Amino acid sequence: MERILIIDDNDIVQMVLQKILVREGYAVDIATNGKEGLELIDRENYDLIITDLMMPYANGFEIISKIRQHPKGERAKIIIISAVTQEHSITEGFQLGADDYLKKPITGKELVIRVKRLLDAKRATTNIHV
Amino acid sequence: MFKDFTSYLQDNNVLTALYYYFLDLPLVIEVACVFILVALSATLLAYGSILVRRYRGYRQDKKETDLLPVIDQLLTEHVVLNEGLADNVPIDDIELPIEKFRTKTLRNPANRQLLIDRIVNYKKSFAGSIGDLLRRLYLELELDKVSFRKMKSVKWNRKVQGMIELTDMDMSISDVNILPLTNSKNRELRAEARNAYIKLSKNEPFKFFDVVTEPLLMWDQIELFKTITTTEEIAIPKFARWVTYSPNKSIVSFCLKLIVHYNQQDAAHAVIKLLDNKDHNLRADAINCLGKLRCEEAEPHLVEIYYSQPLNCQLEILKAIGRMDTGNQIQFLRHEFLHSSDFDIRKNAAKSLIKTRATPKSLVDELIETGTAENKLILRHCMNPLIKF
Repeated sequence: MERILIIDDNDIVQMVLQKILVREGYAVDIATNGKEGLELIDRENYDLIITDLMMPYANGFEIISKIRQHPKGERAKIIIISAVTQEHSITEGFQLGADDYLKKPITGKELVIRVKRLLDAKRATTNIHV
Repeated sequence: MFKDFTSYLQDNNVLTALYYYFLDLPLVIEVACVFILVALSATLLAYGSILVRRYRGYRQDKKETDLLPVIDQLLTEHVVLNEGLADNVPIDDIELPIEKFRTKTLRNPANRQLLIDRIVNYKKSFAGSIGDLLRRLYLELELDKVSFRKMKSVKWNRKVQGMIELTDMDMSISDVNILPLTNSKNRELRAEARNAYIKLSKNEPFKFFDVVTEPLLMWDQIELFKTITTTEEIAIPKFARWVTYSPNKSIVSFCLKLIVHYNQQDAAHAVIKLLDNKDHNLRADAINCLGKLRCEEAEPHLVEIYYSQPLNCQLEILKAIGRMDTGNQIQFLRHEFLHSSDFDIRKNAAKSLIKTRATPKSLVDELIETGTAENKLILRHCMNPLIKF
């Protein structure tokens, strides 16, 4: 079962995303801030990480760059979900290594499609490497 | 000498004895006693009120802790994870078990408010079909009526709360209800009404610019700017209209910023006319706008009026020349840099000189070689590419 980590300080987003993704058959963990997220990444292997940008302790950009430097996070797919829509924030996210960007308010169906697409791509890349 | 208190007790009860004892005290002590009594009562009242409020808050928190999971369960089960959403059933045809949200507990006004808050928060986080189904739930539970009732409240904070709920749930509010509030004496209320008006009015979201008499404060402008630039499908008008006709200076100033943001080049003529305005702050804003629009045709006029302007306008003219980058005013900038006694003028003249691509390198070298120590420092500062202009 593929594992997803959601890093967001908004309890509604955490809960709803978790329910939607569990229904789709993924194992989902939740971190309420960047620090907690990085601790979970240290301990577990995640195929995909969904992170917000504005969070206490560490913002989304710091998290993405730390994930990309982390041996366990190097190959994980990253989706940013944020209400921040300025072009420079989006490009900075991609430059740091994010794979996709979803603007809040989120559409459930769109999220599921993007998650599936990224995980398919990850699986395909892993198969090539194997 | 004071009489002993016990002597008053001989023929009277305690209260009467106290009263006579008090009457026999010197005036200064009587006044002091009254003050002490008032201060003690006020302190006790304040403590009492704090305790009552805290207890109420504690009970409300406890209630929320118990009720929120129930509301969340209902919303996720019947709205977010509704089977109809997955099967692409049209929103109006999706089976929504409304009766499950009409429990006795959720009919209680405080709990109903909790449900409204939660629906609004869900709607803020989720768009698309989930958002539409949340809106349908809000309407079918007739919670919109609760929000509209709040708008009719005499308390400004209730009005604001109602307005925010209606705006977040994409409900339309009639102009009759909202336009007067855009001019309210209460700062928070009028700011929220303006935001709501822009978000909700699809055809003429800026109509309130015509009726606003209160000034748009700087913070209001920031909030409005954010609302205007982030609201989708908003009809952007030609802001030159208000630059020309609005008697409200803050509206004109705000429209100048919007003209720059939306790069409305055709507004340049209206902005140039503002250069004759008596208010020097407005003239400075207009010059800033012309510079950012890179309105080259205004440059000769700006140089012409330069010496008759106050310092803030002069600085804006120097900045505008740098932004326009025509290369026609190099000598003017050089003159200001060399001969002005004002530090800010020399700094902005230098910045514009460096920014003007047509400025010969030899001129900059010459200015560095022959300049005073301070001028050399200004030039080197302006040549640093890390310092943005």
